Amino acid sequence: MARTLKTTFHSLFMIELLKGMRLTGRYLFSKKFTIQYPEQKTPLSPRFRGLHAQRRYPNGEERCIACKLCEAVCPALAITIDVAEREDGSRRTTRYDIDLFKCIFCGFCEEACPVDAIVETRHFEYHFEECGEQIMTKDKLLATGDRLEAQIAADRAADAPYR
Amino acid sequence: MSDDKLNIEIDGTSLKANPGEMLIAVADKAGIRIPRFCYHNKLSVAANCRMCLVEVEKAPKPLPACATPVMDGMKVFTKSPRAIAAQKATMEFLLINHPLDCPICDQGGECELQDVAMGYGGDISRFSEDKRVVPDKNLGPLIATDMTRCIHCTRCVRFGQELAGVREMGATGRGEHTRIGTYIEQAVDSEMSGNIIDLCPVGALTAKPSRFSARAWELVQSPSIAAHDCMGSNISIHTFRGEVTRVGPRDNENINECWLSDRDRFSYEGLRSDSRLKVPMIRINDEWKETDWDTALEIAAKGIKSAGSDLGILVSSSSTLEEMALARQIADGTETRNIDHRLRQIDFRDQDNAPVFPGLGQKITDLENCDAALLIGSNVSKEQPIAAHRLRKASMRGAKLMFVNSRDFACNLNVEEKIIVSPGKMIHALAGIAKSAMDLAGSSIPGNLQHLFANVDSSDSQLAITGHLKAADSATVIIGSQAQLMPYLAEIRSLAGVIAQATGATLGYLTEGTNTAGACLSGVLPNRDAGGTASRSKGRHAMDMMENGMAACLLVGVEPELDMADATTAVSTLKKTDCVVSLTAYLGDAMKEYANVLLPVTPVSETSGTFINIEGTRQSFTGVTKPLGESRPAWKVLRVLGNLLDLEGFDFNSSEEVRDEVLARIGDVEMNNHVGSDHEVRLPVDMAGLTRIGAVAIYHEDSVVRRATALQATHDALEQGARIHSGLADKLGLGDADKVLVSQGGDRVSVPLVIDDGIPEDCVWLPIGTPAGVNLSSLFASLEMEAD
Amino acid sequence: MLEFILDLLFVLLKIFAILLPLLLGVAYLTYAERKLIGYMQVRLGPNRVGPKGWLQPIADALKLMMKEIVIPTNADKFLFVIAPMLAIAPSLAAWAVVPFDEGLVLSNIDASLLYVLAMTSLGVYGIIVAGWASNSKYAFLGAMRSAAQIVSYEIAMGFALVGVLMAASSINLHDIVMQQSGGIWHWYWMPLFPLFLVYFISGIAETNRAPFDVAEGESEIVAGFHIEYSGMTFAVFFLAEYANIILISVLTALMFMGGWLSPFQGIPWFEDTFLAKSSIIWFLSKAAFFAFCFLWFRATFPRYRYDQIMRLGWKVFIPITIIWILVLGAVIAARVSYVTLGVWTVGIVAAYLLLNKIATRAGT
Repeated sequence: MARTLKTTFHSLFMIELLKGMRLTGRYLFSKKFTIQYPEQKTPLSPRFRGLHAQRRYPNGEERCIACKLCEAVCPALAITIDVAEREDGSRRTTRYDIDLFKCIFCGFCEEACPVDAIVETRHFEYHFEECGEQIMTKDKLLATGDRLEAQIAADRAADAPYR
Repeated sequence: MSDDKLNIEIDGTSLKANPGEMLIAVADKAGIRIPRFCYHNKLSVAANCRMCLVEVEKAPKPLPACATPVMDGMKVFTKSPRAIAAQKATMEFLLINHPLDCPICDQGGECELQDVAMGYGGDISRFSEDKRVVPDKNLGPLIATDMTRCIHCTRCVRFGQELAGVREMGATGRGEHTRIGTYIEQAVDSEMSGNIIDLCPVGALTAKPSRFSARAWELVQSPSIAAHDCMGSNISIHTFRGEVTRVGPRDNENINECWLSDRDRFSYEGLRSDSRLKVPMIRINDEWKETDWDTALEIAAKGIKSAGSDLGILVSSSSTLEEMALARQIADGTETRNIDHRLRQIDFRDQDNAPVFPGLGQKITDLENCDAALLIGSNVSKEQPIAAHRLRKASMRGAKLMFVNSRDFACNLNVEEKIIVSPGKMIHALAGIAKSAMDLAGSSIPGNLQHLFANVDSSDSQLAITGHLKAADSATVIIGSQAQLMPYLAEIRSLAGVIAQATGATLGYLTEGTNTAGACLSGVLPNRDAGGTASRSKGRHAMDMMENGMAACLLVGVEPELDMADATTAVSTLKKTDCVVSLTAYLGDAMKEYANVLLPVTPVSETSGTFINIEGTRQSFTGVTKPLGESRPAWKVLRVLGNLLDLEGFDFNSSEEVRDEVLARIGDVEMNNHVGSDHEVRLPVDMAGLTRIGAVAIYHEDSVVRRATALQATHDALEQGARIHSGLADKLGLGDADKVLVSQGGDRVSVPLVIDDGIPEDCVWLPIGTPAGVNLSSLFASLEMEAD
Repeated sequence: MLEFILDLLFVLLKIFAILLPLLLGVAYLTYAERKLIGYMQVRLGPNRVGPKGWLQPIADALKLMMKEIVIPTNADKFLFVIAPMLAIAPSLAAWAVVPFDEGLVLSNIDASLLYVLAMTSLGVYGIIVAGWASNSKYAFLGAMRSAAQIVSYEIAMGFALVGVLMAASSINLHDIVMQQSGGIWHWYWMPLFPLFLVYFISGIAETNRAPFDVAEGESEIVAGFHIEYSGMTFAVFFLAEYANIILISVLTALMFMGGWLSPFQGIPWFEDTFLAKSSIIWFLSKAAFFAFCFLWFRATFPRYRYDQIMRLGWKVFIPITIIWILVLGAVIAARVSYVTLGVWTVGIVAAYLLLNKIATRAGT
């Protein structure tokens, strides 16, 4: 009985609600954590998983050997690969598409790659203006790789001791 | 029985084993998995990979399970520390020189070495020296090699020796320098060569046509039935993104065991040929126009209706039972009896005496157990490789194989006796055998065959053949598919019947076409109804239709210019025909000349259906891929055509309904090859000049195979020229000619010339079904030849 | 005639004088809401459009005006378009009788309290019509929830106002304010403390604001009654909601917080300073405080479960108001001054809170 009375009064006088309001009221004046993105940037890990790229060997030969392991491991089925034999008899992709609308940036493709061909770079500031541009074709991936190779290599080197 | 079984114990499980059995076989039967590479239950034991080392109690060191016969009271441990250590050591040893290129290896994902390495391999290599590199071999258009990956299990070598019968591959060198390869740089030419792809436990031998096309885990495997010979081999069709990417065997001990002929394995390439017909087409004023199904079917139905009972229906013997049944039903509905599937047959004289369906007369497995076999007009190893394999097993056991042929085929069987004569003299030779057989049996010549035996004296080899057949516990006489194309089929059949009866042998047929049995049973014959009963009114057979013409013609899966006995006559007759409706999967240039409506139908991989094989086994299958373009399964097209013709009983909703109905109509039919003896026989006429002989070229046998690019690059397919005896070449002064002009029925064709002393001197071997044969008339007719 | 036209023009001018600041206030209330909630969630809120984000509401308004108005195929087009107008019209019309300062009122009608009560209740029709006309399950569910909620809380709200009119013996808002003059202890929030709380909370419920926003219920029914609305039609609903917030804040200030009366009235030291002077500034700051409370509540409280809302309305608020009306009646009959009642009431509440605080301290 006393207990019921106590809870009744407790809720009647809105004790809990007032406590809650005190909390939000306090936060109203606390320091804000917001980072003003384009001007300020958060630090990025070498393991950051941003836009995909395909790498080349130093001699300019593409690394990808069309083993399709990334396609197999991709949980979002974002990767589509077609294979053919190149004139020199090596196994190469004729098509390597990553659909960035499907991609969930889990990094499994990178993990699965036996030759470190497909990587996810730190680059994440990109956009598409037309439908279809979200398909990262082999050419686009290789171009990204060529552009960012220095950073990709540095990131892989930084992470190498933990692999 | 239990007395002669031995008691052994593997991993604590007590097992019974037959004396002489190898440990690994006993373990496999009990479901105990021992890793292995070189052991294969269909091959001899080599024991050279050492992967199956197991610990045996009281043995001083681990023993290879594949080469250790069981002994009573044996205690075996497959997973003891010692066995595991031995297996791990072997694995490390094997991996020393195996390249780490699984990601680019076609075997990756289905590789025995990969699988076993997962269980027994270390994760770090202690081997820092250079790995061995072996140059690749060129094994022809079917098999790709990466010899660096080879682990020297010698399965492929043993397959060549023991099964293919050609020692094409072998090991050279010792130790580190061992190489597997062909002794001389040459392609592997066996018609079963594709099986070494399956046998190879690593990626050293892979399929060239499907090289790099898909990874093992991406393929969807669907069961199906092979459609290129009468054996009905069980296959698995592997599809990738809805396209057939490769074909492999499916185990069936009663038919193909675990093997598959190259024709069945690689023919799938024809399925995605550029010449596939994708939309219905109609000809208006000699202009071909693509159209929709409704229009095309409407025009087809109109053309067929206007022909009335002067309609001819030609059905490919490789069609499914359902298609045949519906074609027959259309024939019944339109009251025509002109329906036939025997497109390449020339001799129809004894068609009323022919068996209900030409069967093997025995089970396929019985071939393996026969003691003597006489094959008449058959190149069995190229035509029915699976049957040849069974016969080869019998001959390895000591069975006598004998041939009466019109060409001395190079073949992988141990041939005891062979008689090579021109087709006209074949009757004489068979009569000789029959006479000696009847002499032995003490029976008399059947009345109607009397005059065949005039002036017949048995030669030594004919006597020997009879002797072998008579002496054998189980003997068989087989009329091969070449014999069935000969102009003296009636006589051959009669004489073979006499020989079989007199020697107590089983008479059997090996037919061309996948579903000849199905065609005969479902009534795709002008003289019989479904189930083989004689029909009330007789129609015209294929040859008759082609010679005398008709008002309209319905072609089901037939390319007359290649599939008919007399290509030139067929094409010219069809050109004169008012309406030619062709249900075809492929669009050939010749077909555009005579057809009026082209309806795109699907090849077997895209339709459901049933095949009845040579031993009468009914095997149904389903389509594994979607029909290409607007093409539709032929049974559906025939069904709708039936509706448009306002015929009764075309209300099937599935191919299973069609099948069930036709099987009910056929009922239980026993395989019976008994030969009647009341038809007239005639003596072969001596042909002046040269006789064209030949067979259906092995890789030109049906529409799909013809378009399989890799198969077309094999030696067997390239053998298209005219072959003549060196003596004949000298006589004609063609000794050093490369090409000759061949003419038959007015057409002149330039073909390569090959000198082959296995051809009778008065004959020219020139196969049919090939593009070169389109402009010639039929086999076994006379032919003229001159230097080009 | 001319006089009539001039009068009319004058009235129109006065209407504009009320509406323009009101709409501006609505616009900046949205900005204030986003900014305040942002701050309470330890972030900055909008700060990109214009200095410190001051132009954000203008940008929002522009965006909403430019957007397409999508009318669902199977919607009742007439009702669909009329619904937002039905929603905003009463919330604007109510302002006609709101006195801003002594004598500063567009229309000082006698029963202005009743008029206001009627107008605030009418707003729900807009919502119900919108939910019905959209021909969408979510919209319909939202409308049903809204209707049930407003019916429930209208009663408590009405009873709370009964308390006010009993205390003021008037149903004219101007009179009610004037009745409260004499010092902060004369304002009705003290003697009618429970009714004050019930009224304000019911006001929140009436405007469908958090934590009573089940009619919108983003996480359950997506956006409730206005799920199918876009562009200007949506903007009008938006305006109506915020106009209602301001209206409820203003009414609370009028009826319980002495309207434009200065809180320093009647305190000897301030009596002569400008602080004790009643003015519209006091009125606006009081209203602003209540508007702030709306936003504060939204940042603090999670949404009520639907049955809890019903329980609160019927089983808590209505009994409380009835009891307090009886208490008030008794006080009036006994001729006890409101101030005494107020001191006692607030005293008891303060004492309980204090005791509770001490008890909690001791407990821990």
